[in-house]
Amino acid sequence: MTNLYGGKILWIDLGSGEISTRSTLDYARDYIGGRGINARIMYDTIGPETDPLGPENVIAFGTGPLSGTAYPGCSRTDVMSKSPVTGLLGNANVGGDWAAELKYAGWDHVVLTGRSEHPVYLHIRNDHVELRDARELWGKTTYETRVLLQDELDDPEAKILSIGPAGENQVSFATIHSSVGNAAARTGMGAVLGSKNVKALAVRGTRGVSVADPEAFLEACKAAHDQVKGADYYEEVHTIGVTNAEYAYVLSGIEAGGDGHEGLDFDPDGKTDYNAFWNKHGYKRTGCMGCPVHCMENYNVPGIGATVISCELYTQLTWEVQNDDMRLWYKLIRQCQEMGIDNTSMALTIQWLMELHGQGIITADDTDGIAMEWGSKEAIEAIMDRTIANEGFGAVLAKGLKATAEYFDERIPEERRNGRSTYWYAMQVNNNPMYGINPRLTSMSLSYAIGRRSDCIQDLDMHQFDTVTAPIYPGWSQEDRDAAVEHEKELAFELTGKENAADPDTTEGKADIVHDMGIHTGVSDMAGSCKWHTKWLFLYLMPEHYANALTAGLGRTVTPEEIEQASLRIRNVERAIEVKMGRRRENDTIPEKEFSKPVSRGLMKGKYGVSREQLEQMKDEYYTLRGWDLRTGVPLHQTLVECGLQDIADDLAELGLGLEPFELEGADASRTASEKEPVPAGRRPEPRP
Amino acid sequence: MYSIITVDVERCTGCRTCEIVCSLKNYGECNPSRARITVVREERDGLISTIPVVCQQCVEPLCMELCPAEALSRDPETNAVVVNEDKCIGCRTCVQVCPYGAPFVDPRTGVSQKCNLCDGDPTCVKWCPNDALHFVPADEEGLRRRRDGVRKYLELLKTQSE
Repeated sequence: MTNLYGGKILWIDLGSGEISTRSTLDYARDYIGGRGINARIMYDTIGPETDPLGPENVIAFGTGPLSGTAYPGCSRTDVMSKSPVTGLLGNANVGGDWAAELKYAGWDHVVLTGRSEHPVYLHIRNDHVELRDARELWGKTTYETRVLLQDELDDPEAKILSIGPAGENQVSFATIHSSVGNAAARTGMGAVLGSKNVKALAVRGTRGVSVADPEAFLEACKAAHDQVKGADYYEEVHTIGVTNAEYAYVLSGIEAGGDGHEGLDFDPDGKTDYNAFWNKHGYKRTGCMGCPVHCMENYNVPGIGATVISCELYTQLTWEVQNDDMRLWYKLIRQCQEMGIDNTSMALTIQWLMELHGQGIITADDTDGIAMEWGSKEAIEAIMDRTIANEGFGAVLAKGLKATAEYFDERIPEERRNGRSTYWYAMQVNNNPMYGINPRLTSMSLSYAIGRRSDCIQDLDMHQFDTVTAPIYPGWSQEDRDAAVEHEKELAFELTGKENAADPDTTEGKADIVHDMGIHTGVSDMAGSCKWHTKWLFLYLMPEHYANALTAGLGRTVTPEEIEQASLRIRNVERAIEVKMGRRRENDTIPEKEFSKPVSRGLMKGKYGVSREQLEQMKDEYYTLRGWDLRTGVPLHQTLVECGLQDIADDLAELGLGLEPFELEGADASRTASEKEPVPAGRRPEPRP
Repeated sequence: MYSIITVDVERCTGCRTCEIVCSLKNYGECNPSRARITVVREERDGLISTIPVVCQQCVEPLCMELCPAEALSRDPETNAVVVNEDKCIGCRTCVQVCPYGAPFVDPRTGVSQKCNLCDGDPTCVKWCPNDALHFVPADEEGLRRRRDGVRKYLELLKTQSE
């Protein structure tokens, strides 16, 4: 064991049952931990030919050096694998208590390869590592699995990550759950675990995490806690979570605004007021291990049961599908968690079906006799049940949007589809159903397009976001609202040096802000802590806070610049994985139908909108900041070398990707990369269809 | 008047920050299995119950009375019941007789440990992010706080059984 690290990566081949150990320290200096080390492991193990649900896929669970310590929000597990949703790099991050416990057992990462012949679960107790029979657990919900495993192991302190029936059924957007309300939800990590016949990972540790200078470390962590607790937004998120924020998003119309919603006056009576729901049914506030924020709401609704809710879950199975029955919504959320399925993907898939039905493109005949009418409670329930069970039409949906679109396109004559594929109507980026927030704000469209797992929520422009929602924020005085807008304008200007950087009607400074946010979220993801504590949710833990804690904990000087560099580095590793899998500039986009459309409903109706030219311009700026080829979106050879990724630079060069240094020789320095000679087509792998 | 740590069960969100900082302060490492305060966290069917358990520094401590090695004594400064690790024989009598389960066997040393009130300035109380722990004089005010805590706990139990 070494300071802040367990020092070991547990590597298990599920096919042979072989258990081996690698040193974390081989990776730690360059990739720090969590998402960083996971990305490097993925680069070395998976590729374009890897079948996401085949035994050759690899899934990694990573903690960071600050996981399990007194640093705020210190219990995040980063899960990475090839995604069955996008066919690109899959990644999701889960809170709760698992990451801390893995560290206490003396491990930093767990990597699973191969496929077990029958259902198993992994049991770790300090050095003891064992694959155990899970046949009896197959079919159990995530809630049940946690308790059953703790009972079987006779260890109520064991911490569990598990899949539900949806993951067992390999529904492409299945999830992996930690303690109640916490899921590695996006990009189908649960399906990967299900395909490997792994039901759960149970861990218990009593080793602890050592620190070099306990007193200085406590002090650095205290400073970080004080920063979080002293931030303007803390009081609200600490007491009511993001219930008001989410309600502001839907009221404004920047959330839940597909074509189908246009002209529809949904929920005029305010039945979906999330904060009112919290006041009525809230049982207690809760959060992850070591977190002072407690952003999650534990509810107990009579007749349905208890669950934990936070964030986007509020808006999706309500407004996205025009459902104002909050009891039904609550029941569905609970079902998603028990069954282990991504709420976002499910809701946005249903929204797409309702959109298609509303436009007369599909009928009940195309969806197992279920009429997908906007807001139909029967339809929502039936579709969810069948998708989780992977049965009937649900078996089509379980494969994802693209596969479903192909199924529709075969059945439905072209003229009924207005000459387009039904896929055209889906809210997706690289087949990943989008979050509800629509891409009709300039920086939001950029966030979606360049999203490292094809969604926007990671690298987001909160300045623009706040500028849009503050003027209608529930419960704020006009004075507060104006002040919030002014504040965001100042911050955006401070960061970019551009006058209109917070203005949602321009592209000015948007690339700078999104790029900057990417650095910050990368830092927290590598450290093994929560990105909500960074500027991402206005709580403003800065690289300095992380650097101070790492310095005291590791006993060597870690500078903010060093970890920012590491954040840039890992993003390039991830991008390299994706370009090897075929992602190019043209894949960094938003649905075509979303271009040049203003917000279609709500208080912001008729405002904003992003043209294709605007997005392309922001991408140019973003690629330039990242050092990526403007023509292809591939990291430039020079960028990779400067990041210390010489071997990856050489790999890409061998594949004819990126730009060789000799190509720059003699070239006019002022020429942009897009004007350079293209690499011969024969040397490039075919882009993904 | 000496002071004790009181627990406001309703305010505890189960983040276990108290456990981490306790072990950091007392052992220089982050290790809840060595912490002298434990948040007992249960998740059943989506409902989370979290109750911090810490030594109540009893007026007539069974642990001290029954320790065969006389390893427990009362600190005259803080009134905390403290363990002399050199004397402790690891028989776990204190663990078994404590009505709260406050003493525990340290996995590293194999002998008993329990809360010593950090020499009169408990770290957990200072760090609790939701104000669920208090260090208050064990006179009337302390007793009242205890009673409030128990009442809230009973209400919680009632809600859960509904």
